[in-house]
Order: sequence, then structure tokens, then C-alpha cells
Amino acid sequence: MPELEQHLTALGGAIDWPPTPDLSKVIHLPARRGGRVPLAAPGWGGTVGKSYRSKWAMAAAAAIVVAAAGLLAFPPSREAIAGWVNVHTIFRQVTHLATPSPQPPGPLGQRLGLGGLTTLPDAQKHIPWHIAVPSTLGQPDEVYLQPPPDAPAQGEVTLIYATRPGIPIAGQTGVSVMVTEARGAVDQNFFGKMIGPGTTLEAVTAGGHQGYWISGPLNEFFFTDANGNFRNETVRLAANTLILDDGGTVIRIEGNLTKTQALEIAASLS
Amino acid sequence: MEGRPEEDSELFARAQRGDTAAYEEIVRRYQQLAFRTAYMITGSAAEAEDAAQDGFVKAFRALDRFRPGAPPRPWILRIVANEARNRVRSTQRRLGLELRLAEGFRPGDAAPSPEAASVAAEDRARLLTLVNALGEEDRLVIASRYFLELSGEETAAALGIPEGTVKSRLSRALARLREKYEVAPYA
Repeated sequence: MPELEQHLTALGGAIDWPPTPDLSKVIHLPARRGGRVPLAAPGWGGTVGKSYRSKWAMAAAAAIVVAAAGLLAFPPSREAIAGWVNVHTIFRQVTHLATPSPQPPGPLGQRLGLGGLTTLPDAQKHIPWHIAVPSTLGQPDEVYLQPPPDAPAQGEVTLIYATRPGIPIAGQTGVSVMVTEARGAVDQNFFGKMIGPGTTLEAVTAGGHQGYWISGPLNEFFFTDANGNFRNETVRLAANTLILDDGGTVIRIEGNLTKTQALEIAASLS
Repeated sequence: MEGRPEEDSELFARAQRGDTAAYEEIVRRYQQLAFRTAYMITGSAAEAEDAAQDGFVKAFRALDRFRPGAPPRPWILRIVANEARNRVRSTQRRLGLELRLAEGFRPGDAAPSPEAASVAAEDRARLLTLVNALGEEDRLVIASRYFLELSGEETAAALGIPEGTVKSRLSRALARLREKYEVAPYA
């Protein structure tokens, strides 16, 4: 072997690779069916080829689940949630930072784990979908971009509206409205399984898009991202939330909003 | 032969019959190769972990397409590397891979003199710097063949290119590296 190849081979043993995680402990495999390995996760159905294509079709129609804080005596395990919604894949959990009151100093994005401060044009360069901006609120005061893996596949954008007339500032964040956008889709079947007494859920339509108005405190919601991975994120405001399915983009509008205000904001998204 | 490691073919046959414990053993057996390959492509340990996880789940779902008796490494590498490339594409960013030397590494058992060890360490560091400075195609094919010690077939699977392309690409990459390595040894 020539000298250079010998040196490269020797060098290979000296590379400082990152530690390999024990994947066998974190991968959740589908349950057996009739003694055969299922060709696709339950609920995805079909043959291998079809199920694979079906899975990616499903990725485009990813699901979202909203859970109300304190509604369940014990928080469901991620595995339990997977069982309920027939999703057997990898979990990632993102817990945004707590929002103590009074607010500590420092950038909002850092306090709430929103990602990096950026501008709307710059965020758009990094995001494959069109970022919808509500015209009733005008241009956002701050824009944050969170890339994967801390955000769902294809990233997450948050628009911050510090103060807006008629919308009280939420004590938890110190801003009026937060609009968060990520790839995914709403599946109402999940809501019925996760929402309990104390929080109300209402199907709504805004700007021609299906959505859900959740009145009452929330602290978590679950969804599968564009890669089919199940995710759990905390919601940042103990206030009302409108979740909108905008053609494959899930938009969350959070704040101390009335239903009418939230629907007006949603209808003005463009 | 109590305690003999089970052959890959036996593990895959069991996994294809629905034995998830067998598949978990397959994951344990190949997770380092899968993770490092994904790391080489993404340049991020976190992305590599996700890609390897997703790849193993997808491989599990596609077990019936695995031909009994076929070598498992190219099959797994193809799936995991494809997942890693998809992640790079979906994030629309490419993290530069900066391979580093492990501290205190000393190949072989013989203890070299301090002077010889110093020169060897300098030479390794210089060679790695030159590899890191190569273009992405060159760096990937060299890292696959010499750092991950993949075969030609495995390199083709990991890089998503024909095996013939691996040979030609490796030849060109080595020529470019050799030019820098030998012409300006300690520049």
C-alpha cells in the first residue's frame, strides 16, 4: 500500500469520534403481529413499499395533539401516547424554558428557548414554506428561528408582537402575542383523547383553514413532525391558543386573546 | 459453542420472523458504524444520532426486503446514510465536518521516543488538517475508506454512488491530497 494510504489508515485509528449513543435503548420498535415483523407501523398499513410511501404521505399530513395541563392525574408517558395514537417511532422532547414572573432580564428568545434572533427575510431563507404574517398585527417586533433538532423537522419560526392595542401583555412572557409556525398538520382525533375538563376545545375555520380554539391553560402539546417523529413541546403561555392548519403548516397563535381577536389575526395571515 | 456470537444471518433471520430482541442486537452491533457514518455526512453529533435512529427504525420496517445471506453492512449503511443526507437537505444547511485527533493516541504497542512521537503526532495532525481542507466529495470518500474502513461496496452505499464512481472519486481525491501532503510536508 502506498505511503499516503498507509498514513491515512493509521490516522483512522486516531480520529476523535463523538461517543456513539446506545441506540438500542431509545429505538421503539412496532409490536409483533402474528409472529411476523410488521411491515409498517400500525395505522400506516399496506405493504412495505406502499407503507413507506404512505408514511411519507403521512409526514406531509403530520398530526398534532394538545394536552391540557393538570387534566390528567399523571402525565402520560411518551410510550403511552404513542400507543394511543398508534405512532411507533422515535420521540424527541423539547421543553422550553420556564417562564417565571417577574420576567428576568435578557432576550426573549433566550428566556423561552425560541432559537436565534433573526429577521423575517433571513428566516424565510432558511425555511422551505412561506412564513405567514398576520396583517392585523403588522410586522413582528422580533423574529426567532429554531433549527432542528431543537425544533421540528424543517425548523420553527416564532413571530413576537411585544405590544398591540387591545391585547393585554401576557405576564408569563411580557409580550402580547406569539405566533409560532412549523411543518405539520392538525388531527382532531387526537384532541378528543387528550383534552379533559377545565379546558374547552372548539373547531373553527379561519381564512378557509381548519383550526382549533383552545380556551384555558395549556402547557403541552404533541405532534409528529415532517419526518414522522413524535415530538412533545411545552406551550409557553398559560393563556388561550388558536391552532391552525395552514396547508401543511401548523400555526399557533398564543396570548391573552379573545376568540374573536384570535380569529381576526388568523384570518389576516398571508 | 455456548457464548459464540450469533452470526448476522441468524440474527436477521430471527428479526425477519418478528424477534425484536434479535433486531436490538443488530442495532447494538451496527450502531457505531451507523452513527459515525451519519456524523461524517451531517457534521453534527445530534443530527447523526437522529439519522441513525430513524435509519434503524426504517430498516426494521423494511426487513422483509433484506435478502437472506446478503451482507448487512451495505444495506444498513444505505438506509442510514440516506436518512443523514435527507436531514442535511431538510435543514438547508451543511455543517462543516472537522475531524479531530484523539488526545494521547499512539498507534501500536511500541513506545516511541519523545522526539519520534512528537514528529508522528505533528504528521498526523498535518495530514488530518489537509483532509479536513479537502472538498466535500474528496473528504467523504477518503473518510469512508480510511477512517471508517468501509469496503468499496459499503462506501458506495454510504455515499449513494455507484461502486465504480467510488474508485474514480477516491483516485482523484488521493491525488489531490498527495499533491499537498508530499509537496509541502510541513508548510
